[in-house]
Amino acid sequence: MSQTVEPTTATTPATPPSRTRRPYKVGESRLFVKVATYLALILAATVYIFPFLIEIGTAFKTDADATANPLNPIPHTWTTAAFHQLAQVDFPLWFANSAIVAICVTAGRVFFDSLAGYALARMRFRGRSALFSALVAVLAVPGVVLLIPKFLVLNQLHMYDTYSGMIIPLIGDAAGVFIMKQFFESIPLSVEEAAHIDGAGTFRTFWSVVLPMARPSLITLTILSFQGSWNELAHFIVSRQNPRLNTLTSGVATLVSGQLGKGNQYPLKLAAALLMTIPVAVLFFVFQRYIMRSSEGAVKE
Amino acid sequence: MTVDSTAGLSRAEAEVAARSARRPPRRRPGIRGREAAAGWLFTAPVIVLIVLFLVIPILMAIWVSLSNWTGIGSPFSSNVKFVGTRNYRFLLTQDGLSRQNLMQSLRNNFYYVLFVVPLQTALALFLAVIVNRRRLAGRGFFRTAFYFPSVTSSVAIVIVFLFVFGGSGVVNALISKLGATGPDWFSQQAGIFHLGLDKIGVHKAPGVLANHAFLGQSWWEWLSGPSLAMLVLIILAVWTTAGTFMLMFLAALQGISADVEEAAVVDGATSWQRFWRVTLPMLRPTLFLVLTLGLISTWQTFDAQFILGATNPTVVTPAYLSYQTSFNNQQWGQGAAISFILFFIIIVLAAFQRWVLRDRDEAREKRMIRKQRRAAAAGRSS
Amino acid sequence: MNIRHSRIAVAALAAGLIAVTAACSSGGGFSSNSTPSSGTTGSGTLKVLIGSSGAAETAAVKAAAAAFTKQSGVKVEVTAAQNLTQQISQGMAANTPPDVFYLDTSSFQNYAKTGALYAYGDKVSNPNDFFPALKTAFTYNNHFYCAPKDWSTLGLVVNTDDWAKAGLSAADVPTTWDQLAAVAKKLTTGGRVGLTLDPTHSGIDEFLLQNGGTLISDDKKSAAFGSQQNIDALTYVKKLATEGSMKYPSALSAGWNGEAFGKNKAAMTIVGNWIDGAMKSDYPSVKYKVYELPAGPTGTKATNSFTNCWAIPAKSASQANAVKLVDFLTSVDQQMAFAKAFGVMPSRQSAKDQWTSAFGNDAAFLSQAANAHPDLALAGGAQAVSDYDAKLAQLATTDPKTILSSVQKNITAVIAQNG
Repeated sequence: MSQTVEPTTATTPATPPSRTRRPYKVGESRLFVKVATYLALILAATVYIFPFLIEIGTAFKTDADATANPLNPIPHTWTTAAFHQLAQVDFPLWFANSAIVAICVTAGRVFFDSLAGYALARMRFRGRSALFSALVAVLAVPGVVLLIPKFLVLNQLHMYDTYSGMIIPLIGDAAGVFIMKQFFESIPLSVEEAAHIDGAGTFRTFWSVVLPMARPSLITLTILSFQGSWNELAHFIVSRQNPRLNTLTSGVATLVSGQLGKGNQYPLKLAAALLMTIPVAVLFFVFQRYIMRSSEGAVKE
Repeated sequence: MTVDSTAGLSRAEAEVAARSARRPPRRRPGIRGREAAAGWLFTAPVIVLIVLFLVIPILMAIWVSLSNWTGIGSPFSSNVKFVGTRNYRFLLTQDGLSRQNLMQSLRNNFYYVLFVVPLQTALALFLAVIVNRRRLAGRGFFRTAFYFPSVTSSVAIVIVFLFVFGGSGVVNALISKLGATGPDWFSQQAGIFHLGLDKIGVHKAPGVLANHAFLGQSWWEWLSGPSLAMLVLIILAVWTTAGTFMLMFLAALQGISADVEEAAVVDGATSWQRFWRVTLPMLRPTLFLVLTLGLISTWQTFDAQFILGATNPTVVTPAYLSYQTSFNNQQWGQGAAISFILFFIIIVLAAFQRWVLRDRDEAREKRMIRKQRRAAAAGRSS
Repeated sequence: MNIRHSRIAVAALAAGLIAVTAACSSGGGFSSNSTPSSGTTGSGTLKVLIGSSGAAETAAVKAAAAAFTKQSGVKVEVTAAQNLTQQISQGMAANTPPDVFYLDTSSFQNYAKTGALYAYGDKVSNPNDFFPALKTAFTYNNHFYCAPKDWSTLGLVVNTDDWAKAGLSAADVPTTWDQLAAVAKKLTTGGRVGLTLDPTHSGIDEFLLQNGGTLISDDKKSAAFGSQQNIDALTYVKKLATEGSMKYPSALSAGWNGEAFGKNKAAMTIVGNWIDGAMKSDYPSVKYKVYELPAGPTGTKATNSFTNCWAIPAKSASQANAVKLVDFLTSVDQQMAFAKAFGVMPSRQSAKDQWTSAFGNDAAFLSQAANAHPDLALAGGAQAVSDYDAKLAQLATTDPKTILSSVQKNITAVIAQNG
């Protein structure tokens, strides 16, 4: 590994803004180093991409073909039988539920976490450091250990088997507060002071001055939140039981381990996996372009 | 756990910003009252949510773990009795299946963490550093490829892995191309250390290890290593999560001041030295974040077990055991007790890790500051 | 959003918090009085939760429920559970269990022990008509709790083409262990083994029983796993494995034994009648026959049996109507309709002849009814049983005596804990 790390740090240890161009050291872009880097990259990329190719190909295979030729992503005979089978379950409904939950959770997290992160980073008030300590302690609380009691609380609140029960508990998120706090601490204080002098209130300063500067962190938080709530399985196992409230994760998980789980049925399972990946993939690429743009443009102001 | 806001976590980053930003100065006293109100107001939603769905549940779970609640009706009804530490005793001190299962799950999870956390961190850092190169052809493509599994649902990933490592799956097809027969990955129960020793001729436990037990399992069993089935889940976790952490490292790398790097260049450091002495120390807060998040999440692994149904006892983790004990076996008290034992382990480990990293952090920090001073001096003179 | 708005939001959240506290404190006093023996007589919609094997089963139960509504005027809402055990668990904890639900024998033990079930078994018409093994399975402390829905037994399923190709005739169908070992060996060829078994207690316990062994006594007060008969029986199974004529499905790249059989990676398997559905849909070209299981060395015949009952919770407000529904669902006509729809065996003895003539190929499953033992079930025993299963999965490399004595130890501990 050390062999391949070296060349990369050699050319670009960080991504400085291009206006501070600096001379490259002589001999740094030695050819073999470059080749080794690309070979390593291509190998890694293969390991990352091949499983998805297999997933796509196998979804269109017959059962026998999938079992006989697992390595070949191209089906011997193309069939959409697996998708027809899936059409009989509530796939669109699951997708809609996943989307509702993930969007609400992400919006809630990004807003509330930035508020709290900003307060913890910038405002001075009694109990702030105690609050932060409590938050770090919360960060260490394993969510999975709360499965049982969360179910009990939701039930007492009459939120069991409702969208609100699926969404609201996921919004409270210490990790996001943590990320935002870290970021706000790195913003020069002078910016806010200028805003204060202009007569802007605390919320206004936060909302129109500081928050726009936090774009890179907000994007990170958005991605993490969306991905987290989209991937969430355990919470949807205990917060609902009505099949109408199934998300993609809980729906497909039971599809795999449930009645259809007997036997291999790889094309069916992989078709389910593929279908649940497509919407995320689309969203991801939308986000991805955004990430690229922001990381190229707005690294340093 | 006591952590104050100015501690090591943010120190290096604060140092970076130090030139332009100082810690919040004490402002005019008149503004204090309003700021306190705003501070609490800003944090209130998160506090309320955390109290509702974290603190209250924890209190309820503490009660359940000390009660004989069987999952019928409310845990606060009059026929639910306080049983003291009975549930904990079954899990920790009394020789029996409850303890055996818990210890096996802890062993499984221990090996899972031991492999996943270092591997995912190293891989994430490696990928981040490579992908961060500005002059890399297809940079966006590689970044996307590595990050993509992270956004994919764990359910989908587990399904793909079930196929890839299945009896007649991709990996076994590759192995048979090499002329060997692949194992039946998901039903394998023997630990890889045991398998390795078996290969070099150690078929049985040395007496010392076999005859001495700790918490109901012999040392030989404790030292088994992860089973092949668990190894698949380890690969799955590393493969899936490295992208997320790569993104965190990337964000941090982009935050590193070019001046610092440049100063190091001027300083005459080789690229390798620069990585170790400059880049890595500056990444320390992120590294801490990644390691902590990794440690906490790997001790909670649950999804794959839930989907697999965990018929293989060597992949069961305490988190899944707790779920299974409560929801499937209706032993809610024991299930909640397992949760708290897990809780305790995670807290202790996180605190320990923090302590370890903090010491080294200070040493590095000093070195870095020296570097910066020298760099600054060099910058002035040029 | 400005400060005023966020203040309102905070106020709402705080109000919510107060509401929780109130709800928690008012939730403290749930009544725990036992159900009156006559049963509650609420007349609301009956909620039925089923663990369906597939679309056919769900449709059949829904049709039956509709027929019941037409006849009685009682509304019924049938839901197919995704994870039945967990959903019942949640319903019980939330005090909102369904009025009628499928319940397997091991969960039954847990719920009967905690008093969560309404013991209505003797209130359905002709309760003694149910097969004895099934009544035993749903009896706890001498109370017959709930009516068995249907059931399955294990039979020896044979691929007839493989059989003929190996030069075997009808006379060679094994009736003893020795014969079973002999034909399994004969049927083992290059890529195929003679026999495959479900690698869990459900698929292996019948050998122990055939050898005259017992597992747990009917009153659930003692266990005898470590007996010599049981050790010998497990040694026999292990020998089949070490000789190579028996392999577990996972070693044959199959998810379960029916799949290994369907793919012709095994010429015989010991399985319940649920294999019919899989064979019909996945492997329609494979011809097979079902025989009774061979007897043990002393001539003891035994098979393992599996069943669910229609459970009614103690908390249900409409127990009287629920019993009426169960009575309707367990009538001979309805059981035959279910058998036709999704291939189950009727739980009533009076349906036996009708079923046998309708499903001739499966006759051997039901003809073993008298030798059927309920599958292993013990309150609080899930851990012990899954530990047993995990050990059986490693049978080929483990000493049978070690397995059984550790199972004996674990089960005894559970019994002691149950008091």
